[in-house]
Amino acid sequence: MLRRNKMWRGKRRLGSADKTLTDFNPKSTARIGGHPIHPMLVPFPIACFVGTLLTDIAYWRTADIMWSNFSAWLLTAGLIMGGLAAVAGLIDVLGSRAVRSARPVWPHMIGNILVLALSLWNAFVHSRDAWTSVVPTGLILSAVVVLILLFTGWMGWALVYRHRVGVSQ
Amino acid sequence: MIRQPRSPRVNGAVRAMLLAAASVTLAACSDEPFDKESQIGPNPNLPEPNQYLVPPMNVAKAVGWGKDETPRAAQGLEVHALATGLEHPRSLLTLPNGDILVVEANGPGLEPTERPKDLVMGWVMSLAGGGGGGSANRITLLRDADGDGVPETRTAFLEHLFSPFGVVLIGQDLYVANTDAILRFPYKEGDTKITDPGTKLTELPGGPIDHHWTKAMTASPDGSKLYVGVGSNSNITENGLEAEKERAAVWEVDRATGAHRIFAGGIRNPTGLAFEPQSGKLWAVANERDELGPNLVPDYLTSVKDGAFYGWPYSYYGQHVDPRVQPQRPDLVASAIPPDYALSSHVAPLGLVFSTAQSLPEQYRGGAFVGEHGSWDRHEFNGYKVVYVPFSNGQPNGKAQDVVTGFLNDKEEARGRPVGVALDKSGALLIADDLGNTVWRVTPAKTVSNAAP
Repeated sequence: MLRRNKMWRGKRRLGSADKTLTDFNPKSTARIGGHPIHPMLVPFPIACFVGTLLTDIAYWRTADIMWSNFSAWLLTAGLIMGGLAAVAGLIDVLGSRAVRSARPVWPHMIGNILVLALSLWNAFVHSRDAWTSVVPTGLILSAVVVLILLFTGWMGWALVYRHRVGVSQ
Repeated sequence: MIRQPRSPRVNGAVRAMLLAAASVTLAACSDEPFDKESQIGPNPNLPEPNQYLVPPMNVAKAVGWGKDETPRAAQGLEVHALATGLEHPRSLLTLPNGDILVVEANGPGLEPTERPKDLVMGWVMSLAGGGGGGSANRITLLRDADGDGVPETRTAFLEHLFSPFGVVLIGQDLYVANTDAILRFPYKEGDTKITDPGTKLTELPGGPIDHHWTKAMTASPDGSKLYVGVGSNSNITENGLEAEKERAAVWEVDRATGAHRIFAGGIRNPTGLAFEPQSGKLWAVANERDELGPNLVPDYLTSVKDGAFYGWPYSYYGQHVDPRVQPQRPDLVASAIPPDYALSSHVAPLGLVFSTAQSLPEQYRGGAFVGEHGSWDRHEFNGYKVVYVPFSNGQPNGKAQDVVTGFLNDKEEARGRPVGVALDKSGALLIADDLGNTVWRVTPAKTVSNAAP
């Protein structure tokens, strides 16, 4: 338990509220057969948005339209699956005070809302025709999104592997 | 409990993001004020290009013509329906005996869905009507022998074509420009039906994709050459440069051998071709590129100079470089010449005929009639009318004037959309309306004596 309390910049949290945190793992509300839905969905937007950056770079280097088309589809798929993941995640946050009490939940959530907002913007940029659908605005947005994902992903893994959100007792 | 103070901050951040998203959406809901007149004539005002996040789009709802409704003709003219119930009529040809050919066609539907945008655009365009259905692939013949504006004969003249558009008669050879080939058919004066399968003169760039599918066609005054407008395979190279081979050009096709050469290049979509009778020079109307803003790039009417390059895709109106094209070609941009006469942005000119007849009022003689199909990518509608550009000494001389309007009703719904224009044997102006499925006939108003040839 000591280790877990140290997890978020080592700040200790004491008091009656911590009782629930330390005695039981925070429960996931959106789940199927006891398995939380949110972690099943998050790989899709992560892979899609990382893929978008790669195909954007490929288009920037080659000017081969095929790559920009890949980017546009990856962005759309990432937004759809990311939107579903966000819904499942939000249900988990709203459904459990223990989940809300896990500190990484807020940077994880705000960061990922930012990821979806920037990717929506990026999808509109990618709907332009030819070169300026990617270079420079689209490429920059794709890179910023991946940087944010590195952080929010880390926070998400902390929620599961450290704070045991959704892990059975 | 400890976390409580955080939530207002979270809500604040979310609210800020929603507001930002909403303002982005709202920003694109009206065009900035702009004088459209400044883009009609030889030296159009060209604003800075603007690539919107959500490009302005406004597709007129298709409602068709009510009973007894007609477009409005300018003073001194009147307009009546020559034929109704057609199937997407696009272009017209008057035969020497006065019979009128009506080309009924639509795109071949070969364009694949390459990206999510295509799905969204397909849906938006389906609201406009007329784009979705199949193609009749037919030429209908109308015969109004007594010239009273009511055809006594109407036959399916030529069927089983493939998205035809241009049609030309030279002697006893009838040439039809399908989207993928020019076919030649034998024709005798008075024929009301052709059953001959036709002979292929030359292949034209059709599929794959076939983004701009219409192949406008006209013949040189001596009848030895055919000139064909071959539109680009994209808005602005978003289907790759390889897809544009021999496109965005006016082809010259030798009638005897079928051999072709690029007569002029860099014309994005030359949709109407005609020889100016006084100078004997080839002219075209062309549709310029989209998605650079509501006031770019003006569509145009231009003489087509042998060997000239008009910019597409690298630049427009001379040396205005389009940032969307990569790799860029400064060498070609340097050689690009501007077109002669701007018609305003996104009016979509699809028909061109020079006014050679003597029956229309004096002010409509010698110039060019242009059918403007109308805009979809600007908020304030533009086009949706037939205009007349006065000419003198083989050059445009003066502002384009509205000849037939009222294709949009008071609620800005589309009752019709003009495409091809032609003159009938009496000199009356004919207009193919592909949304109203009608051919309109414009004659001098009854108060003026109806001059018969």
